[in-house]
Amino acid sequence: MTGTIGKVVILGGGTAGWLSACYLAARRPWLDITLVEAPDIPTIGVGEGTWPTMRGTLAAIGIAEAEFFAECDASFKQGSRFDGWATGEAGDSYLHPFTTPPRGEAEDLIAAWRSAAPDLSFAEAMTPQARICAADLAPRQRAMPDFAAASNYAYHLDAGKFGALLARHATGRLGVRRIAAHVNGVIGAPSGDLSAVQTREGETIEGDLFIDCTGRAGVLIGGHCGVEWIDRSDVSFNDCALAVQVPTLPGSAIASQTVGTAHEAGWIWDIALPQRRGIGCVYSSRFMDDARAEEILRSYIGKHMPHAAWNKLSPRKIAFSTGHRARFWHRNCIAIGLSAGFIEPLEASAIVLIELSLKALAENFPASRETMDIHAHRFNELFRYRWDRIIDFLKLHYVLSAREEPYWQAQRDPATIPPRLAEQLTLWREQPPSNWDFPQVDEVFSAASQQYVLYGIGFPAPAKLPAAPSAKALAQIAEVREQARALVSALPTNRAYLDNLAAATQSPALKETTA
Amino acid sequence: MPDHRILNSTDHRDLRILTEATSELGDGVMACLTVPSEFRSVQSCFPIVFRRDIESQAFSALALFGFTNGENLFLKDGRWDAPYKPLAQAIQPFLVGRPGAGEGQGQVHIDLEHPRVSTSGEGMRVFDEDGQATPYLEKIAEQLGALDAGYRASGDFFAALARHELLEPFRVDVPLVDGSKNSLVGFHIIDENKLQALGAQELGELHAAGHLMPIFMAVASLSHLSDLVARKNAKVSLG
Repeated sequence: MTGTIGKVVILGGGTAGWLSACYLAARRPWLDITLVEAPDIPTIGVGEGTWPTMRGTLAAIGIAEAEFFAECDASFKQGSRFDGWATGEAGDSYLHPFTTPPRGEAEDLIAAWRSAAPDLSFAEAMTPQARICAADLAPRQRAMPDFAAASNYAYHLDAGKFGALLARHATGRLGVRRIAAHVNGVIGAPSGDLSAVQTREGETIEGDLFIDCTGRAGVLIGGHCGVEWIDRSDVSFNDCALAVQVPTLPGSAIASQTVGTAHEAGWIWDIALPQRRGIGCVYSSRFMDDARAEEILRSYIGKHMPHAAWNKLSPRKIAFSTGHRARFWHRNCIAIGLSAGFIEPLEASAIVLIELSLKALAENFPASRETMDIHAHRFNELFRYRWDRIIDFLKLHYVLSAREEPYWQAQRDPATIPPRLAEQLTLWREQPPSNWDFPQVDEVFSAASQQYVLYGIGFPAPAKLPAAPSAKALAQIAEVREQARALVSALPTNRAYLDNLAAATQSPALKETTA
Repeated sequence: MPDHRILNSTDHRDLRILTEATSELGDGVMACLTVPSEFRSVQSCFPIVFRRDIESQAFSALALFGFTNGENLFLKDGRWDAPYKPLAQAIQPFLVGRPGAGEGQGQVHIDLEHPRVSTSGEGMRVFDEDGQATPYLEKIAEQLGALDAGYRASGDFFAALARHELLEPFRVDVPLVDGSKNSLVGFHIIDENKLQALGAQELGELHAAGHLMPIFMAVASLSHLSDLVARKNAKVSLG
């Protein structure tokens, strides 16, 4: 079989399905794309944080930023803050911002930080973004062109609304066909490829390439192709979340970053949107029962949002399995989203992995069946590497803690630490994380991210730092302070930016075209 | 009605200033005041012309942005479309004030009724949370100081121009691509013939007083008239 690859069938809507449809339709416009989704299955809101890559993704698929904000109740995300992860004591907090440290030798910069700015945290010394975040400021001014930034940013969003916007954009503007139906059969070709899916309603939908966006079920990749699921809960313990949406008071401050607050057996996410905050207690069922998780969530909301009436909120429990497929692309079927895998919501890796998968697929799209297995093999190697690096990076947040609860002690058990991470931790006593540790193009978590976590939580700087920092590094550290002063005086608060934007945004034309 | 106040970190701690360049914010002007010490910067972008005040008969210098009242050809999509913005525009809504009789150290004043005073929570902060001046205010204070010093020194310059009769009335007719014509009247420029005719001693005196350089800067600036015409034509063509 050497047929050309023209018909793409995406199974499943949600963020993964509709983002796949939009991205492929925009970047490979000659493809004939059909998305099949059940009309009545609610989608799981996988995290509500993105990576800065989302700006490029939105630009690539042709959604203007103002429309995105208006339709998705979105806000800016400039990083993640980790409260209580080192010791759990008062004042225990560090920031992992999206803006990288100044260019230069990390050792030199660290030496300059220790000598010229010992009063500042690592993040404060390395980027003006720390002060921007501390003051709840937006990363840009409205007069700037779409997606341009004074400091690097991503988004917090309402995942349900984002999926709906992508669906309207795909069908209304990009020519994607949507079929609302229940798939109840898969037709295989003698070669082992998939040739079509069948719906309960009696339709047969043929395709050359199938994208499995059916979530944890993995209907095609697992159910039909039988690709094994690799469980990683030996490293990553969390398997439950109790999530709730809490309405905010008008005019209240909107935080610039996701706040993750550690608790005795997991952590709480707090994501601020203009109208509500998404708050969730993540925990490991081995170490905590549901009742205790609810208590912790309730106490957090009582402390941080005292206006909220607990009895009016409806927390929802989400149980998740931690792991990924042994392969993500099998013959002519590729898994994108939760069907490929999931590691807890820390650091919002879910949506960025969808984007990275789509970029890899679109830029290496097989023109014929002949090259597909070559692409699949490469894709599988690359994404196996990426999942491993994500697992390492998330684990890094736990192994550096000094908390004493059984859950935290178990996190530091050497038997649960992946060998490569263990090796790196040994290296990092002598040298800071660098591109030597993370040599790939588009590493999910760069050396800069590793540095922010490492030196944020209090890992000791390398024992042998340069005797004296260079004049260049000292000037860079001084420049960060000056930039912070200038930016803090120039940027509006997130609240002012988003309220003014909402007031200025007309109802988008899109609504009319799909009404 | 302007509402001039002395800027201070108590009353104006949360004040923000809109810094985009639009007509609504006060940039819709065909010219603004400039001073000889600023000519070097102004001549890099704009024609410099002179105007006589009818009542006082005193001359002042202007940076020219357009051909008719209210027309500024350097506004584009909310931006100032030139590498330099003359001080008198850049410092708005701030101004220099002096206590009592007008002597003594200049103070930063602000017109709180100016459209640049933000009420939306967007714009440049003047003071930070601790009441310290922001880099933006530092820059404004520097510009106000330069403009004030330049203005105070300009009397000598205009007296020298008058002494040597170096200003001549100037008229330019601007034919536009759509067949219409704009005329620029009522301004003066440096009389180049008289300038050329000055002797070594007179030139030496002008130079020693620091007037020669701004005179030549003003002469050179007129080459931007063609740029101004081109901008006007581009606007006319776009309808």
